[in-house]
Amino acid sequence: MQRISVTVILNRSTLQFDAAAYERVERYLAEARHTLADNPDQAEIVADLEQAVADQCTRRLAAGSTIVTLAELQPALDEIGSVQVPGSSTSSERAARPLQQVSEGAMISGVCQGLARYFGLDVSLLRIAAVLLLLATGGGMILVYLALMLLMPYAPLERSGKPVRKIPAKSRSFVEFVRAKLGVAAA
Amino acid sequence: MTAEAKLAPIRKGLLEFLVLKIVGARSVYVPDILRRLAGTEFATQEGTLYPLLSKLRREDLVLYEWQESESGPPRKYYRLTAAGKAQLAALDEYWILINRTIADIGT
Repeated sequence: MQRISVTVILNRSTLQFDAAAYERVERYLAEARHTLADNPDQAEIVADLEQAVADQCTRRLAAGSTIVTLAELQPALDEIGSVQVPGSSTSSERAARPLQQVSEGAMISGVCQGLARYFGLDVSLLRIAAVLLLLATGGGMILVYLALMLLMPYAPLERSGKPVRKIPAKSRSFVEFVRAKLGVAAA
Repeated sequence: MTAEAKLAPIRKGLLEFLVLKIVGARSVYVPDILRRLAGTEFATQEGTLYPLLSKLRREDLVLYEWQESESGPPRKYYRLTAAGKAQLAALDEYWILINRTIADIGT
């Protein structure tokens, strides 16, 4: 047995989605709600977006087919675009931020995320490169990472950011502890 | 900082002015606004426009009415309020003024 489709009510429209498309649209709307968390019109804007998704998917469905798949949904979401709050910084402005470790959503300490933000690269690429270097250098990369961890300042925590996992939180307090010790030693 | 990086925030700031202009010309729904801006320097997306329109509505510059459509659910048609018209006139006037200043300065 296989679950073929989910009936989705998007604002004032009812559509059939397959499992993958359902998951994708759910993620998109959750992201929108998150971005609009402080907006007094959150519910209304999300309803508008739901309607936009429904209209776009309906328009894209080939004649005769009734189930929305990623083939219709993805181009629809690309056209609608992610939610931008008026007056907030854009990704290009964010890229101009200084070289800092980013704790939110970090794997270890946020070095890769910091480098990704600084150079405007995809963090996954940097993480893969780091792991490859780790293997190629027979573990020597660990020293490089530790050095960067100690040298790169931490970006201030953002309320709207992803949660800080346990390991990045521990790394951060460890680095702050070491820095305080070194600062005492130097003084 | 490249010229493009400096121009991006200017475009972003002006988008609100342009949306007021479009809504001011006649009552429109969101796809009309997107179509009008598509192909210009100010091409935008629903993800940007809906939050912007809701901000303008909160500032009491625009309002919307539901209108039935032949195909699909009813649509929100936006138009300017009296305050919106006043602000658009002020922005228009200021825009002409700064254009003149920019043209005159440094010549």
